[in-house]
Amino acid sequence: MASSGADYAVWLRGIEKQFPGVIACAGADLRVRPGTIHALLGENGAGKTTMVNVLAGVYRPDAGEVWVNGQQHQFQSPADAIAAGVGMVYQEFRLVPTLTVAENIVLGAAPGLLRTAEIVERVAELSAAYGMAADPTRPVWQLSMGERQRVEILKSLWRNASVLVMDEPTAVLTPGEAAELGSTLRAMAEEGRSVIYISHKLDQVVAFCDEATVLRQGKTAATVDNLQDVDLTKLAEMMVGTSGGGNVDRPPPRDRGPEVLSLQNIGSLNDRGLPALIDINMTVHSGEIVGIVGVSGNGQKELAEVITGLRRPTQGRVALKEQDVTGASPGDRYRLGLAYVPEDRLGVGLAPKMSVVDNAVVRSYKSQRRGLMLVMDRCVEFCQILVERFGVRVGRLNDPIAGLSGGNLQRLLLGRELAEQPAVLVAAQPTRGLDVQGVAAIQSHLVEQRANGVGVLLISEDLDELQALSDVLLVMYEGRVVGEYPPDVTPRSILGSAMAGNPPT
Amino acid sequence: MSEAALVGLFVATVQFATLVFLAALGELIAERAGVLNLGVEGMMAMGAVSGFMVGLETGSPWAAFFAAAAVGALVGGLHAMVSVVLGADQVVSGLALTIGGLGLAAYVGRNVVGERPETQFTDLGIAGLADIRWFGDIFFDQPPVVYLTVLLGLAVWFVLARTRLGLALRAVGESAPTTDAVGHSVMALRAGAVMVGGAFAGAAGSFLSLYMAPGWTEGMVAGRGWIAVALVIFGAWRPGRLALGALLFGFTLALQPRLQSFDIEFLGVQVNRISPALLGILPFVLTVVVLVIISWRYRHRPSPAPAALGLPYRREER
Amino acid sequence: MIRPILVRRDRVVPATQAVAFVVGIAAALALGLILLWTSGHNPAEVYERMFDSAFVGTDSLARTLERATPLALTGLAVAVAGSMGLWNIGAEGQMMAGATVATGVAMTADGLPGPLLIAVMVVAGVAGGMVLMLGPALARSHLGVSEIITTLMLVYVAIRVVEWLETGPWKDPASHGFAVIEPVPEQASLPGLFGRANVGTLIALGLLIVFSLAVSRTAWGYELRLSGSSPNTARYAGISLSRKVLTALLLSGGIAGLAGAVQLTGSATRLESGLSNGYGFAGIIVAALALMRPSGVAVAAVVFGGVQVGGQSIQTLGVSSAISDILQAMILFGALVAAVFFNYRVRWTGPAGESLVDEPEEADMAAEGA
Repeated sequence: MASSGADYAVWLRGIEKQFPGVIACAGADLRVRPGTIHALLGENGAGKTTMVNVLAGVYRPDAGEVWVNGQQHQFQSPADAIAAGVGMVYQEFRLVPTLTVAENIVLGAAPGLLRTAEIVERVAELSAAYGMAADPTRPVWQLSMGERQRVEILKSLWRNASVLVMDEPTAVLTPGEAAELGSTLRAMAEEGRSVIYISHKLDQVVAFCDEATVLRQGKTAATVDNLQDVDLTKLAEMMVGTSGGGNVDRPPPRDRGPEVLSLQNIGSLNDRGLPALIDINMTVHSGEIVGIVGVSGNGQKELAEVITGLRRPTQGRVALKEQDVTGASPGDRYRLGLAYVPEDRLGVGLAPKMSVVDNAVVRSYKSQRRGLMLVMDRCVEFCQILVERFGVRVGRLNDPIAGLSGGNLQRLLLGRELAEQPAVLVAAQPTRGLDVQGVAAIQSHLVEQRANGVGVLLISEDLDELQALSDVLLVMYEGRVVGEYPPDVTPRSILGSAMAGNPPT
Repeated sequence: MSEAALVGLFVATVQFATLVFLAALGELIAERAGVLNLGVEGMMAMGAVSGFMVGLETGSPWAAFFAAAAVGALVGGLHAMVSVVLGADQVVSGLALTIGGLGLAAYVGRNVVGERPETQFTDLGIAGLADIRWFGDIFFDQPPVVYLTVLLGLAVWFVLARTRLGLALRAVGESAPTTDAVGHSVMALRAGAVMVGGAFAGAAGSFLSLYMAPGWTEGMVAGRGWIAVALVIFGAWRPGRLALGALLFGFTLALQPRLQSFDIEFLGVQVNRISPALLGILPFVLTVVVLVIISWRYRHRPSPAPAALGLPYRREER
Repeated sequence: MIRPILVRRDRVVPATQAVAFVVGIAAALALGLILLWTSGHNPAEVYERMFDSAFVGTDSLARTLERATPLALTGLAVAVAGSMGLWNIGAEGQMMAGATVATGVAMTADGLPGPLLIAVMVVAGVAGGMVLMLGPALARSHLGVSEIITTLMLVYVAIRVVEWLETGPWKDPASHGFAVIEPVPEQASLPGLFGRANVGTLIALGLLIVFSLAVSRTAWGYELRLSGSSPNTARYAGISLSRKVLTALLLSGGIAGLAGAVQLTGSATRLESGLSNGYGFAGIIVAALALMRPSGVAVAAVVFGGVQVGGQSIQTLGVSSAISDILQAMILFGALVAAVFFNYRVRWTGPAGESLVDEPEEADMAAEGA
């Protein structure tokens, strides 16, 4: 073992970082050899993002050393990290939609005078060299997510980054695009650059990466020098500390009840006016969980919005308990028994700056009225019952909810939606970003609702969750349902190819 | 209507266009960087009074002009400090800048009301061209500020479109986190843009008090700052369209005091019976109409308005 | 290198805005002190005169209330839109529009008895403000056009229309050639309270109370706050956002229009292009200082009214009344800056991993007692 950072492309040593109320890193280490693709693994909250943000100069560590290419650095800003050769590709891309591909690539690293033709040519050369097709003159807002990711990578290459950090890069990619990304990263590694690859998708990690570091609770739990020697289950165990797999006992199969939600020939556009849903037909029965499988961005968001009335379908019919609700408002649908746990909890389901009570009565404030006035005592009482029943840990009920943790926010939201016994629950990514405990709590609530006869539509990216909870799986690809599978007997490979748009026939 | 009156109308059009273009150009820089500054009226007033006073003191219109620009930059700096560095609301800060700027200008200038400057900008008859009939007077025999403003317009266009700095400014107006992440200083870019914008507004104010209406009176800016704010939107945040809009708005400003003397019919309307007050409405109504058209035309793609306009940015650890 | 960054406080300092307001006033007075000092006045004498003329004695208080009334009403107008996250920058114009329509009504119905005529004029004022707001409100609710610019632009439209009416159609034939509109009928004057204060102050106070309750205690107000705080959540709760935007903006315009009618029947004698007198713009600052809360609007309006009255009074000492505009702006700047420091604390950051010098948290504790 080397005693200095000289042998490593990246050496983060004993990193400690504390945020108000949270210890994100408690002396974690990360060592990356030059010319390798290094997987950074760990559960949500294990400290992965904090570690790479320390490397990217976004966070200043409370303690610890940062070495890049054999030199110790004290980054004051992202600019310092860029100058040291660190390139970051975040999950939410940092691109300016109205600028062109070339302008985005050179932003921050452009010559004083912009000779557009020359820059466009050099960007084209760069993208050709790494086999990444990208038209330098197109504005970024016209690009697909996969293309935008290429622009991000090119941005780092333009700065000649020796270390490229990629945070969950395949979340927005189809399996085909993901494989392409894999070969691009390999080409970069062969040039001697290093890649730090953060992902939850263990199969991809094994396929793409050479070595790995596993973080657990802010500390380095394990390092793997050769990923080919380790099998998937072992890796998963390292991440969670216990055996992985479903957190909830698989619910026993049961007879389906009556149809509670049906979609017929639904078509819809996305925010950019492009087709997002094409001829969708599906039904959800009372007492079943229908799982929607797919890489995000294949119409799942629009599907949830069309069902809940937040988006108008361009064609087709939505029925709730055999009643046509195609033109009904979100409020009307709720009153008919449709509950919704949206993907973007803080943006769509909750109002972060308002109080716990205010957020608790979003659905039911109209029944807390006397004349024109809201009866505050009744609102508070309603909120208290909800908080106790769903185990939401809160401070004062009149404080804004912005300070609550993700798991508590989700409990509050789910509790509110279930307070008036719905017939249908649409849950979009209900466990994303929660800790193990939170995931288990939410999953058991879903199973409980199924037992109570609620029809659940579960949209998730977590195949384990979907396979463990669902009664039937529907695979979505580019706005269509491309396959229907029984969850327990379908091999991953079949689901995988269906998710890539090639359902086996 | 005489030929001289018509030429006079267009000479004044160019001057009013210069006045509002210069101020609007400054506002354009700030807004392209993502900072709405509703303090233009106040910055122009401060520029007008300080330019005039420095002119009285030094006798040099150029010293006065640049002093006014410096004062404008300082006043703009207050907006930059409050809304950019500290991240307070831009709308409120800008309005306070207008109210306070008008008040401070009135206070500072209370002793020079009614005085006449000894020297002022002289028209720059460009040899050979100034003698051309009509066009000579309108385009080639104007005060130097007019030509300087044209050059500044070209310079702003060039910097925005063709330089690293301009790219960074455009980017910071669209997305501050992105610009921060690539290593540009969001605060320096925005505060700089607001201060340069303030300098332009201050300089425009001094053009008013040094040349167009030599002297200082309270209220002499008379809403031209607001016209400049409108013009930036009318020009869809682009320097070229800003220039065209400035000529149009300048024309309405130049026509207002002259309406009575135009005994002609236009589109079935007797021009000299139109109220100057109603003509003064035109820039504001046109701007509202343009704004509505823009948002309709761009409903499916990014609007020409800087996406981060009005949004403060603070790099914050969680 | 050691440099400061702003870090959001874990705990919000209670009573933040009231303290910020006081800090703002102190900052304004300090700057005024320098200005007065450097121009050879005696600051103590000037401030004393200002304070006496604005707040000492019933006549003074009456003058302050007279000024505070339009400020409170325009402030409330801005605050109603503001509690939904909308900016009505055009209260100045809506005030003019309200006064204009009220004048029009008074001209045609000048035979009505006083109380009835006033009532009709007030309703007309509300309608006038709403009419001017209609375009921006529809553009915002149905096309998403920013209301900030559209409402602002219409200010000048309204003022120019009044100028046009003054010089043309409504010019008073008995004015000996002056471009003025005839005074409102004598019976259409709001009854006085004491000194120069009139019933308009009570109207403003009543409206402030009604809206304070409406925003915080009714389902309508809840919907308004929810829509402003999180538009998508409101949509999901079944609230029609476009209708909410429309009603909030129209109400805002209506209240500003009412301010015009109250001003017209209260302290003004006739419609003139100076009737709005900057009240609409100052109202925005009043509402911003009050964080869009009606109760705060009342306090800020009285303070601003006092500053304006004080500004008038010091002219007899040979001090420019422009001081009062400077003070008003500085109060806002001071309060804005103070509010930032109540929500954030400065942290001096040194080289990574070392000497992070925190501003002691005791500062928070101390402020908690305030």
